[in-house]
Amino acid sequence: METGKLIFVTGGSRSGKTSYAEKMAIDLGQDLEANLHYIACSDSIDMEMSERIARHRRDRENAPVHWETWECPYNVQRIARHFSKRDILVLDCVTTLLDNYLYELMMKEAEWLIDCLFDELTSLQEASSVLIVVSNEVTQEVPFKEQLIKKYQYILGSLHQKIVYQADTAYLVENGLPICKKGAAE
Amino acid sequence: MHFITGGAFNGKRKWVKKHYDANHRLWLSAYNADALTKPSHETMPDLVVLEGLEKWIYTQIDTALTPDIHRQNIINQIKHWLAWENADSHRKLVIIGTDISKGIVPTDKRNRLWRDITGWIYQDLVTQADRADVIWYGIEQTIKHNEF
Repeated sequence: METGKLIFVTGGSRSGKTSYAEKMAIDLGQDLEANLHYIACSDSIDMEMSERIARHRRDRENAPVHWETWECPYNVQRIARHFSKRDILVLDCVTTLLDNYLYELMMKEAEWLIDCLFDELTSLQEASSVLIVVSNEVTQEVPFKEQLIKKYQYILGSLHQKIVYQADTAYLVENGLPICKKGAAE
Repeated sequence: MHFITGGAFNGKRKWVKKHYDANHRLWLSAYNADALTKPSHETMPDLVVLEGLEKWIYTQIDTALTPDIHRQNIINQIKHWLAWENADSHRKLVIIGTDISKGIVPTDKRNRLWRDITGWIYQDLVTQADRADVIWYGIEQTIKHNEF
């Protein structure tokens, strides 16, 4: 089976990365006549997160196209069998997925986490037509003394390197504007 | 001189190792507690890589001194390397410094000073550099490349 396309979209918080990923999915969906799926990885454990989720959900409901939403805080491989080459997926986002593995499942080993999360994404890429992966920029500030934060940055940075290497296209979104870092812009 | 920057864990070291694939090179790293000051009496290979510039800058911060004095002191030390490089056209100096500028303002004075000085030094280095690249998850963006 032909592996789907992988598109990576990252940016700071409130940079417009999710909106851009969704817009790209809608455009590709029209071109390929494919169905749209939104894979939400955050666990709505607190009020603030619930509001963010509700905001993104409202945005999708107001969109002129139909989105199928999957709440999937971990083990995203298990939903891969529901997709086909007629499906375009947006996974939002790698950082919440990593948070859930670290703090909900209490997985600790860095190299294991990097491989595990990368395999999760690959399984979705293989199952679908296009997988758009959304993530965050968290590695450009004054280094923290806390080993936990350093480890988090190491895992996420290493994972991003692997994703960008495998991706067909990669974007950094700044202030709502996508900067194409790899491949040709869609 | 070639200046390489980008966020932590973005593959800067890997990129430099691939780009400058030389058998003979001197690799000094502040992460291994190496001083990045130029040794005075040593013969060295034509390729020298200085890694972890921000870490080395941190070791030199004295909160009693002004940012300008720090900036001048550090640039003066790097000038010895630039003079070494300029003395022979086969020589190449590569400096790697992690971008630490994009978080919130640090509450600790030393960290604030560190972040400010590092930013200014990076500007000075890009001005001096023949080439400068920002590495983003293994992919370079060349922000300066002088024509010869």
